[in-house]
Amino acid sequence: MRLTLEDVRKTYGETIALGGSEGDQPDPAAGGGANGISVDVDDGEFFTLVGPSGCGKTTTLRLVAGFEPPSAGAIRFDGESMRGVPPEDRDVGVVFQNYALFPHLSVRENVAYGLKFGDPPGGESDAERVASLLELVDLPDAGDRDPAELSGGQQQRIALARALAPGPDLLLLDEPMSALDAQLRERLRMQIKEIQSELGITTLYVTHDQEEALAISDRLAVMNGGAIEQIGTPRDVYRRPATRFVANFVGDNNVFEGPVVSIRDGREFEKTTTSVDNDRKSPDETEGSGRERMVDVDVGGTTVTVASDRRVDTGDRVVFCVRPEGMSVVGDGGDGPGTDRAGIESRARSGGDGSGTGFGDTPANVLDATVSKAEFLGESTRSHLRWNGQEVTVRSVDPLEGDVRIGFDPSAARVVETEQGRGP
Amino acid sequence: MRATLRDHASRAVDRIRAVAGLVESHALALGALATALVLVGVFYYPVATVFVDAIVVDGRPTIEPLVSVLTSRFYLVEIFGFTAYQAFLSTVASVALGLPGAWVLARFEFPGRETLRSLTILPFVMPSIMVAIGFVATFGQNGTLNAVLRALGLPTIELLFTLPAIVVAHAFYNAPLVARVTTAAWESVDASAIETARSLGASPVRAFRDVVLPQLLPAVAVGATLTFVFTFASFPIVLALGGFQLATVEVFIYSRIQNLAYAEAAALAVVETVISLSLTYLYLRYEGRQRAAGQGARPQPRRSLWPESVTSRELGTRLAIVGYAVVVLAVFVVPIASMILTSLTGPQGELSLRHYRFLVERQQTGAAYQVRPLPAIENSLVFGAGTLLVGVPMGVLMAVLTTRDFRGRALVDALSMAPLAVSGIVVGLGLLRGLVFGIEVFGTRITATGAVAIVAAHAVGAYPFVTRNVAPLLGNLDPRLIESARSLGASRVRALLDIELPLVAAGVVAGAAFAFAISIGEFDSTVVLAEGSTSYTMPVAVERYLGRRLGPATAMGCLLLGVTSLSFVVIERFGGRYGRGGF
Repeated sequence: MRLTLEDVRKTYGETIALGGSEGDQPDPAAGGGANGISVDVDDGEFFTLVGPSGCGKTTTLRLVAGFEPPSAGAIRFDGESMRGVPPEDRDVGVVFQNYALFPHLSVRENVAYGLKFGDPPGGESDAERVASLLELVDLPDAGDRDPAELSGGQQQRIALARALAPGPDLLLLDEPMSALDAQLRERLRMQIKEIQSELGITTLYVTHDQEEALAISDRLAVMNGGAIEQIGTPRDVYRRPATRFVANFVGDNNVFEGPVVSIRDGREFEKTTTSVDNDRKSPDETEGSGRERMVDVDVGGTTVTVASDRRVDTGDRVVFCVRPEGMSVVGDGGDGPGTDRAGIESRARSGGDGSGTGFGDTPANVLDATVSKAEFLGESTRSHLRWNGQEVTVRSVDPLEGDVRIGFDPSAARVVETEQGRGP
Repeated sequence: MRATLRDHASRAVDRIRAVAGLVESHALALGALATALVLVGVFYYPVATVFVDAIVVDGRPTIEPLVSVLTSRFYLVEIFGFTAYQAFLSTVASVALGLPGAWVLARFEFPGRETLRSLTILPFVMPSIMVAIGFVATFGQNGTLNAVLRALGLPTIELLFTLPAIVVAHAFYNAPLVARVTTAAWESVDASAIETARSLGASPVRAFRDVVLPQLLPAVAVGATLTFVFTFASFPIVLALGGFQLATVEVFIYSRIQNLAYAEAAALAVVETVISLSLTYLYLRYEGRQRAAGQGARPQPRRSLWPESVTSRELGTRLAIVGYAVVVLAVFVVPIASMILTSLTGPQGELSLRHYRFLVERQQTGAAYQVRPLPAIENSLVFGAGTLLVGVPMGVLMAVLTTRDFRGRALVDALSMAPLAVSGIVVGLGLLRGLVFGIEVFGTRITATGAVAIVAAHAVGAYPFVTRNVAPLLGNLDPRLIESARSLGASRVRALLDIELPLVAAGVVAGAAFAFAISIGEFDSTVVLAEGSTSYTMPVAVERYLGRRLGPATAMGCLLLGVTSLSFVVIERFGGRYGRGGF
């Protein structure tokens, strides 16, 4: 089933839960032309809404389930408007964070509850259907037990079985694993993903855990303050964050900002402003489809070269980010302050780092920094460095200490925000 | 052509869906409307007729009765002054008797503590007339107390028809209430808050003053206010133990009704109702604040009742507890025991069943105008069943309504709880003047029999208890349970039947038992409505026997005790299972 949200908004009195308001919108490009949110989930797709608490992700799910009506906009199942259709007539299965199993019914009665209101799919009898679902969630012998006797993870699997029993067209999962411990979470998330792809059921998944969202989704929407910041594949969102918020929220990131001092490559940028908007709503995955060009940015007195696929002019302020794993250690800190010019000899050593898109004639950026603290994470060490009055995070196999010289390729940088300068 | 057909079909489906949704979404509203009609018919309208009686005399509007009440020294000082005075003394006595109980229940561990704690609910289901009988049997001329004094060769004392007897009887009723709410507040004090205070340098006494006391005071205030409200409107106890010599407003209104001085009674009722409603408003405000206090994460550990060390301090504490236990025994156990004992005692103090035999004889040979026991028992049970039939659905519906958010909810809350604040005498008087004597509706005279009016009055008095037992359980239900059921295909009503009601069944049963017990014990409006008719109940029978014969009255009281105890067992079984319902 194909799920479509068209310009959907939700307000509670004066409070806006979903969609922006006039003048409230931080960036008119973020929410599209209108104020509401718009999402298109394909048949069989595993689609995730991810964002911090209060971003509107659970509200969106509740609107889709029909627990609350949207204040404006349309929700369509296979193109058919769901306006006024009560939850019981929507053919959706819902799984909540706290399982919400009926405490006065046995596990079997819980799973069978939805079968009271219609025949099970595929010509099975009710009993067969319950048995095959308990089998599916790997709890074939739990039928006669009380929900309270089961562990959290088991209860959640029963909740999943109950939601799937009537053969819904759409599965809605509201933070289903937030109450479970980390190890169980990872196991269950693989199990959910397996079941989902086996059944091919369209799934809307809500979580605040960006790592979970990256691991489980076909596509995801990053939400913030009632609006969608970016929609894309996990790879896409991770590698090419569309906004500063996405850059910060999804994974670790180093964010720098400063004015553009010069543009190395004088070629005219091909994309128009509108295509930038499109890029944010549904960025295409092919890297560098637009023309990238080298831009020198003054970050607190140091000139750094980054690749930009956005239209920028000299004098514009830009915000860009570099992943910790996009940074590499070049050597111990030198005597003088590091500049991009000094990086030429070190580039040979760090060559092969970065995404290696072959800007062969561009020198790597080199920063001389001091380690302020390091966290040992097991497979790697995350070091927090002081550079130029700001913090820079680097991941390395060996722990770092003292003064270090780190470098990154221009192509490892991603411009996430531009603001037109006053100058030409 | 085809497209149009499909169009028609889908439009028809839409329409059916819309109609079904309309009925569905209005099912609750329809139920609420029905409840509202019942409330208006058997509560608001009758009470309003009483108010009208006070300002319309012989078809002409007048403020004369009200003015005469408000300007009369007799009414203001002798009646309202005395009513407030005895209520104040009763409140002080109830708090004094209840607080040590709360301390023992909250801070000490001993076998039977849980049982004792649940016994504090008993007074709620004890018919007040039965308590009054117990006190007559204890403190009367030939009561237990004087028997003991005579046996010891001491002069006898006359406590009946004195203020102390009334105050102690009121304490019997209300001290457990004070103990109950205070214990709950004490148990919800978080031990880590006290430990934090101690670690910051506070002594135990200081920590108690700064951490525990601020959390207890609102609970004590709630208990005290409720006690004052109850004792201000107390009727059977004052009637039986004070008589018309020590008349409170309620008793005086009753005597006016018996003398057919309705205008005067109505004027008094208006003033009384205004005072009662103000007090109830105060109580609700206190209670609201009390509820705002959070639940303790970890209660303080209890001390053993047996001293762990033999220090003078420990021993002193235990001695005080023993002294308190003796007082509790004297106030709570002796009256009930005296009632049972008196019912089994002959004129020479020998063990005898003659009072019960009297009841049987009266049943067989009594004249039509005499009070016979079997009709009383029958009426009580029938009215109790009627109360369940009317009051339980009303109470459940009210609970569903009050746990929902909608505009004007506070008003619905207040209006539906108002029956708790208006005295039974006033409701009874209203029903008598309104329904029983008949009212004109569009030219048709509608009258109700005394029995119907009594069931109505009982249901109005009882349904708030159903609501109070069900609403907390409903409020604690996870809304996601209902949402899960609905996404699985259940309609809203179906989800209510399949999920919500089974999960609050314990509260419904406990509430029903409350309602039944209240109907069985109700005296105030019943005695007004059963006046001269054949629809007298067990409590009314007890009161009528009490006038002339204490023995049969105590025997009847024992039967009442049996029925009441049964209700208590049911409440305990179902209310105790979740431990959250009600008070």
